[in-house]
Amino acid sequence: MPTNVIMPQMGESVAEGTVTKWLKKLGERVERDEPLFEISTDKVDAEIPSPAAGRLAQILVKENETVAVNTVVAVIDGEGAAVAAPASETSNLKSEIPAPPALAFSEASAAGPSAPPAETPSQAPAPGVPVRSSPLVRRIARENRIDLAQVKGTGLGGRVSKKDILNYLDGRQKAPAAQAPPPSLEMPHGPQAREAPGAPTPTAPPQIVFTGPTQVVPMTPMRRQIAEHMVTSKRTSAHVYTVIEVEMTKVAQIRERYKDEFERRHGLKLTYTPFVVRAAVEAIKEVPVINSSVEGTNIIYKRDVNIGIAVALEQGLIVPVVKRADEKNFLGVARAVQDLAERARTKHLSVDDVQGGTFTITNPGSFGGLFGLPIIHQPQVAILGVGAIEKRPMVRDDAIAIRPMVYLSLSYDHRVVDGAVAERFLGKIKKFLENWDELVL
Amino acid sequence: MALMTYLEAIRQGIWEEMERDSSVFLLGEDIGVYGGAFKVTAGMLEKFGEERVIDTPICESAMVGAAVGAALMGMRPVVEMQFMDFIACGFDQIVNMAAKIHYRWGPAVPLVIRGPSGAGVHGGPYHSQSNEMWFVHTPGLKVVIPATAYDAKGLIKAAIRDDNPVIFYEHKFLYRRIKEEVPEHDYVVPIGKAAVRREGADISVITYGAMVWTALEAAEALEKEGVSLEVVDLRSLLPYDEEAVLASVRKCNKVILLHEDTRTAGMAGELAALIAEKAFEDLDGPVVRITAPDTPVPFSPPLEEYFLPNAQKVVDAARRLAAY
Amino acid sequence: MTISKKPGTTRKPTAPDAATLTRMLYYLKLTREAEYRIERVLYRQGKIVGGVYVGRGQEAIGVGSAIQLKEDDVVLPSHRDFSSFVIRGFRLADVFANWMARADSPNRGRDNTLHIGSLKLGVIPIISPLGATCPVACGVGLVLKRRGRGNVALVHFGEGTSSVGDVHEAMNLAAVMKLPVLFICNNNQYAYSTPTEKQYAVQSLVARGPAYGMPGTSSDGMDVLTVYDTVRRAIARARAGQGPSFLEFKTYRMTGHSAHDAAEYVPKIHLRAGTQRDPIQRLEKFLVARKILTRQRIQELERTINQEIDGAIAEAEARPLPAGETALEGVYCGLDCWWERPSVVRSPLSVAAEAEVRATHNGLRTPDKY
Repeated sequence: MPTNVIMPQMGESVAEGTVTKWLKKLGERVERDEPLFEISTDKVDAEIPSPAAGRLAQILVKENETVAVNTVVAVIDGEGAAVAAPASETSNLKSEIPAPPALAFSEASAAGPSAPPAETPSQAPAPGVPVRSSPLVRRIARENRIDLAQVKGTGLGGRVSKKDILNYLDGRQKAPAAQAPPPSLEMPHGPQAREAPGAPTPTAPPQIVFTGPTQVVPMTPMRRQIAEHMVTSKRTSAHVYTVIEVEMTKVAQIRERYKDEFERRHGLKLTYTPFVVRAAVEAIKEVPVINSSVEGTNIIYKRDVNIGIAVALEQGLIVPVVKRADEKNFLGVARAVQDLAERARTKHLSVDDVQGGTFTITNPGSFGGLFGLPIIHQPQVAILGVGAIEKRPMVRDDAIAIRPMVYLSLSYDHRVVDGAVAERFLGKIKKFLENWDELVL
Repeated sequence: MALMTYLEAIRQGIWEEMERDSSVFLLGEDIGVYGGAFKVTAGMLEKFGEERVIDTPICESAMVGAAVGAALMGMRPVVEMQFMDFIACGFDQIVNMAAKIHYRWGPAVPLVIRGPSGAGVHGGPYHSQSNEMWFVHTPGLKVVIPATAYDAKGLIKAAIRDDNPVIFYEHKFLYRRIKEEVPEHDYVVPIGKAAVRREGADISVITYGAMVWTALEAAEALEKEGVSLEVVDLRSLLPYDEEAVLASVRKCNKVILLHEDTRTAGMAGELAALIAEKAFEDLDGPVVRITAPDTPVPFSPPLEEYFLPNAQKVVDAARRLAAY
Repeated sequence: MTISKKPGTTRKPTAPDAATLTRMLYYLKLTREAEYRIERVLYRQGKIVGGVYVGRGQEAIGVGSAIQLKEDDVVLPSHRDFSSFVIRGFRLADVFANWMARADSPNRGRDNTLHIGSLKLGVIPIISPLGATCPVACGVGLVLKRRGRGNVALVHFGEGTSSVGDVHEAMNLAAVMKLPVLFICNNNQYAYSTPTEKQYAVQSLVARGPAYGMPGTSSDGMDVLTVYDTVRRAIARARAGQGPSFLEFKTYRMTGHSAHDAAEYVPKIHLRAGTQRDPIQRLEKFLVARKILTRQRIQELERTINQEIDGAIAEAEARPLPAGETALEGVYCGLDCWWERPSVVRSPLSVAAEAEVRATHNGLRTPDKY
């Protein structure tokens, strides 16, 4: 039975040793405890006796080679099983520190939400709009199949407290017919209908089943938020609107020519959105007040151009932001927009994704509207609405020509943006789009 | 039954154990002729003699070391630290010698180290400390802190009978301020079990030592406002009653952890972690700690008052937590 | 209060009888060979891990003192006193098993080196913060004095350790309470790399004795007969109720502080002196000159010792290492306390309690050999 010869640890902090001399040759016989080799370490040089009797069968570490403590440096083909077994045990004396025991979670939490608690957004009905409660309340909700958004919260900041959910449970038990929401609430919309368990989320607008002349349907938290924001925005900014018409011939041509190659190379669809975003960014550079906000009597100009792109979801509206769009080229913008849109639809946006925007672009045209008059997304001072791109008869060189056209509308805050400035801004966008010369691929 | 103070209850507990078991003996400074700086051992030298009530030189380390030696030889020594602040002078003997002997080479080390701790008497930094966590962090020791006279007698007896080194913290503020009916017969309060001092429903206050009384005072005040406090007295810190803590949290769903010891790495931190691990889904509000700040215990009365938790601080915190 | 003569002067010690002398030679040689195996063979083969400390050259102190102990005496040896353990009755195989971290060993793998103890054999081990056993020896002495049977406690420490506060507190306490404790100081001139000039300012440590109110002696620790005689007198004092003594023995280390220490700080002249004054050679010369032993007999002795040690190492090596989970056991002594309780002083309570333990748990998990 062969015996491993190891590099010993000569001192508590010593981690390695150098073989300085082999005192026996390969194949030579050695007795137990007979000097076999010499080593040198940080602390001391020493002669090492053989752990077993036998033939030096293998030399694995040459002279002047340095190895870690416990490395097998040689093998002795020995006699005596009794010697070999303990030897390998002792060489395991410094076996790995066992892995730390698994964290002791209680049995209750094993049944808890499968999504890690840190990602609040994916548990929430919509990113940035969680229903505040507590671990206890969420557990009670889960155990009783209660949609927390349906429970009125009287705790701090409107959170749902233990008292609230217990009252709700009480009420539900007393009048099940009147209060129970219709079972088939959800209009399945493919993957968007999947929720993380533990945080029930309203999805499609409910089918209204009338049990009387009126049917009270409480607003979802997202709806509440949107409602509040819209009204506040109108109260805050002096909304003025202006519309221009832009010819998209050049852009359409470029798109036509390059969309296949673009998709093949970058795995992205070549849509109109990045064109508009790039144009807006360039225009902002020339009209920086568009990229500002108002605080009291101060105008706060923002250095970074973070473009929010409004995305429609069944339950409402969300505005993820392309951060530092001014530093991105066309491809960068296209990729960012695609990524955000996808994550918005699959509910993987983080809180950071929907914050910090300085200018917003929305697309009423995607629903067929000619142009829109959107409400400014506070605390910004302007919002660009892109209408539907349609072929229209236009007068070119005193003749009728069919051209792809689009209406761009700008809602702007007249507290800080005057008409002339707004028109100039839109004019820049128009010029950029109509004379597109940026590399797309 | 007899009406006695917390201090008298400790004295009676030690006295009964000295009578019951001749291997019990006492060492400490000024405990014999003088009867102890706080008079806990008054009368014992006359009753039990010089061999069993030993006035030592000033040598806390040697005192504890000698106690270990005597314990190994079959005795059950009780060492008095004149103030628990001075226990640091015997630190090596406690944590390296006494605490590790059984684990390393086998024999039991049945000894008790007892003494007055805690603030509120204008004692300053070296006569007011709550340094129990040094020893709660040392496996091999046991640490107990009674808050009532009944528990003081029962726990000193349990400590003396325990075969492990036990650190017995007496709160000097409570020595003469609480008086209770205490049974005069033999009884023992088990080490490692908490006691519910007051049943409640809204917020559980988990505490020990003199702060138990602070919590009860706050509970009285809050009752009038419709907030019901449950007060749990840990009594032992090592081992501590995990079950009792979790049961109270599961019942009330909101918890305040209260101690006179300083904040960082105090018992409240340990309990907060336990609660987060094992009662996360029973929490209807954040875990709140009320402790002294991270400073030495100051001397001047307004400083000490600011430093110490009191009933008003508990009431304020409980109101906020109740409204969460 | 004796202040010794100049250290190094020999006054002819009274030699013990031939049987005792032979036993002393046996233990000296056994210790030397066993420690050689530990430090220069097993450690270098990786079969012993961690720290290794031996008392090469200083064996006379352990042998000359422990050999005189009666059954109920107690010794608190230092890490340089291997012989004290075997003289008191520890089996060689168990000592090696402890070095090699086996489950079946006195420390069950929880502690290493010579941190082994046994109440039955009257041995209490050190903890690594040296000096801490001195107060423990006082507690032991206190109980021995109360029993009134003339038993003594011996506590060993080095000259470096004599700087530690615990040693001073203990010596003071022992003198004040007149305890039967011998404070035995092995002055091997170096505490790790610190020479005595940096360790203390007194001319000789012997001054420490009277400083606390006990006699102090300073003698040659390389001569086992001197050690034997000096200790004999101090033990007699203690047994007669005359209190503690401080005994300094001067020795020379013949190896580094530990197995990983090349001891380059020790002047070569010092190591040479140690070799020249080797206690084993001195005793052998004495015994042969007095015709108590022949050279041939000594060689036989050496063979016996080697066989014993070979057997002990083999036995120890064959024992398994402890299972990881056993690390959690035995932090507290409860009803399942699995080591024997002290038999030296019994109170009615502990007798009753122990009967309870035995009744409840069919015998203890470890054989009552310690």
